[in-house]
Amino acid sequence: MGRLLLIYRLVLGDIKRRRVQSALLVLMIVTTTTTLTLGLMLHHVSPDQFARTRLATRGPDVVAEVGPAPGSSRPAAKQLASLLHAPGVAATAGPFPIAFVQLTAAHRISVPVQAEGRDVAPTAVDQPLVTSGHWVRTGQAVIEQGLADSLGLRVGDTIRLRGRAFKVGGIAVTIEQGFYPGTIPGLVWLTHTNAGQLATPAVPLGYILDIKLTNPGAALTFADMPALNALGSATPNEPSMIEPWQGIRTDDYKLISLNQKVLLVGSLLLSLLAIASIAVLVGGRMAEQTRRVGLLKAVGATPSLIAAVLLAENLLLALAAAILGLIGGDLLAPLLSSPGQGLLGSAVAPQLTGSTAVIVVAVAAAVATLATLAPTIRGARTSTVRALNNPAQAPRRRPGLIAVSAALPVPLLLGLRLVARRPRRAVLSAASLMIAVTMVVTAMTVQHDLAATGQRRVPYVGLFISTAVSSAAHANHLLIMLSVILVVLAASSAISTAWAAVIDAQTSTALARALGATPRQISAGLTTAQLLPGLAAACVGIPAGLLLYQLAGGHLNEASPPLLWLLAVIPGTLIAVAAVTAIPARIGARRSVAEVLRSE
Amino acid sequence: MDRDQPALSASGVDKVYGKGDALVHAVDQVELEVARGEAVAIVGPSGCGKSTLLYLLGGLERPSAGTLTLAGQRLDRMPESGLARLRRHSLGFVFQAFHLVDELTAQENVELPALLAGASPRRARKRAQELLEQVGLSDRAGHLPSALSGGQRQRVAIARALANEPLVVLADEPTGNLDSAATTDVLRLFDQLHENGQTLVIVTHDTRIAATADRLITMRDGAFVDETSLTGGSSRTLAAMTGLQG
Repeated sequence: MGRLLLIYRLVLGDIKRRRVQSALLVLMIVTTTTTLTLGLMLHHVSPDQFARTRLATRGPDVVAEVGPAPGSSRPAAKQLASLLHAPGVAATAGPFPIAFVQLTAAHRISVPVQAEGRDVAPTAVDQPLVTSGHWVRTGQAVIEQGLADSLGLRVGDTIRLRGRAFKVGGIAVTIEQGFYPGTIPGLVWLTHTNAGQLATPAVPLGYILDIKLTNPGAALTFADMPALNALGSATPNEPSMIEPWQGIRTDDYKLISLNQKVLLVGSLLLSLLAIASIAVLVGGRMAEQTRRVGLLKAVGATPSLIAAVLLAENLLLALAAAILGLIGGDLLAPLLSSPGQGLLGSAVAPQLTGSTAVIVVAVAAAVATLATLAPTIRGARTSTVRALNNPAQAPRRRPGLIAVSAALPVPLLLGLRLVARRPRRAVLSAASLMIAVTMVVTAMTVQHDLAATGQRRVPYVGLFISTAVSSAAHANHLLIMLSVILVVLAASSAISTAWAAVIDAQTSTALARALGATPRQISAGLTTAQLLPGLAAACVGIPAGLLLYQLAGGHLNEASPPLLWLLAVIPGTLIAVAAVTAIPARIGARRSVAEVLRSE
Repeated sequence: MDRDQPALSASGVDKVYGKGDALVHAVDQVELEVARGEAVAIVGPSGCGKSTLLYLLGGLERPSAGTLTLAGQRLDRMPESGLARLRRHSLGFVFQAFHLVDELTAQENVELPALLAGASPRRARKRAQELLEQVGLSDRAGHLPSALSGGQRQRVAIARALANEPLVVLADEPTGNLDSAATTDVLRLFDQLHENGQTLVIVTHDTRIAATADRLITMRDGAFVDETSLTGGSSRTLAAMTGLQG
């Protein structure tokens, strides 16, 4: 009991004494475990949701659509009539009229939608399942669930379609087309009359036909039938589309598969960054822990007690971080898994399973154990007196760098020599910054690609905008979010690295001040020591970011941002590093010289 | 520069730490003038405030009260950057713990103050070579501090203190970590510096090093309690200094 109490007191005392370090360690492990949780959870998204929705809505096996054709000699609805009796067709619903309009919701948000005129009575094929409110009524609109979620629409709200006000009467799911925002335009249902009132001479109505086949498995073959060629080969002024249910399912899952890809790359980069940052933090703590081991040995603690104290402390922090990571992952996963938005069964979308929790906790515990092992072994090997007196590893000597630095201005001289003292720390620092730069450059490239694609996009004439474009736009939000997390984590890492360097170099910087260096020179030197890895990180991170984009399936020839943007990343990185390391560097430069030198 | 002006002076200098019941007078109303070329030794028991006084004289700490001047310039009011520049050109420090940079060779350690003062690498190297020769370590110029004995390290530290030809060298227990033979070497070096006209203020426990000075000041509880001119006998008695005798 006494032994447990002693361990408890020592652990609690040390955590309290090093609150900032402990908090940073927890932050790093939380980030790693959160991304790990997300990655593991999203792999468990159920593919049954589409099938369940298809069954519940009597989903069509094939959807045929003819877009608006101003001035066409062939009425759109008649073009679809040929399909009603095509071989293999078991039942049909429609053709239903479609008006292509802008939907304006609150806060003047405006999105393109297809307003489909439907019967008030249920249909045998494709009867959208109302999840809230009721089915179409005059003057009211039913909103596709993905679109309603994206715009924050609820039953009772008012929307405007081509300037006409409609009350939201219901929200429904369908598989007639992919859900918003994976598929654009979005979908709303009105009565036949209301839909017809939205047509204009410039943008007349289009028509959609839902087809049930005798053999649903043959939908792909049916869509390729020669009989449908006339429809499929319509001119650009008479856009048309035939979509089998498999294609719609692909559209729905395109979003999540893209998100999974982005998340996989993101979590990999985050994990690498977290590992680099943890290594810097643990390395910084190592010297202090070795001194502590010496102190405990001096007062009679056995090696097993010392190991128990260090392990308990790191395990406590890691477990707290693992729990926070699991909660964070659980909260974030639904936001990233879009199938829950537009299909049935969102409640069963990504679930935190027992195996996920076990893996996450095990990873956190492994990190804690590794962080404990090194100081424990070193402490056990080192004599008590040596551990107490000289806990830090001797700094490295780099004669070349020392010689080169002699000819440089004082801040660069000090900065370069500080880097030369601890090259491993500089490499880890450069690695963590490089990961953040890589992600930022990839995000920049995707942004540029999307902007360029938007400019290349043909004028909207009614049918679907490429689902790839809209899915990429959605995944881009995820990419930006991951970039922000990475940048914040890299900034925290840069601060902790700068702080570790300040602590490690406190005697040599105090000495430099005693020999005549000004606080500003010391502060600039400490910042320069962080800027040098930052410069290397930016120089490597730019091509790495472009390469990552290419590896993820992008086409650099079309998407590469202007060279000036890419070059701007270098000063941008340096300014960011200088900004976040300025405070630790300033604190380091203002410490009392006498106090530091006397303590040695 | 006025040659009659004291190199270093302190008037009514106090240094206190803490507040209320925990208030400690580390240095208490110290009056001191050090002439150019003079060697002053300050002795006293551990914790009497000798080192604190030395740090105050070197501008590494700020006094709580009183004035400090170096070659006529007020140190106590000078901004930190001004103090740094003054230390760079006018002061040299020798510490008990040597405080050599572990990853730099003896020569690189001696070059450091000159480089910080903006000297060219060639000039800094030349000066370092001269100084290492002066302290008898030119054959050890390429050695790291870990490969040098305690006495050799302290001689490198003395060479470093002289790099920018300072007006005053401040030494804090320069023989405190040395054995008898190394102490003799360092003593000889200080004696040589003194003969060359270098102004020295040495804080020490060692009576042998104190005996090389022109003046010996004894400190107790932060205050000067005795001052002896070693060339002309005690200038003031303990009783006179503490005000017990008129």
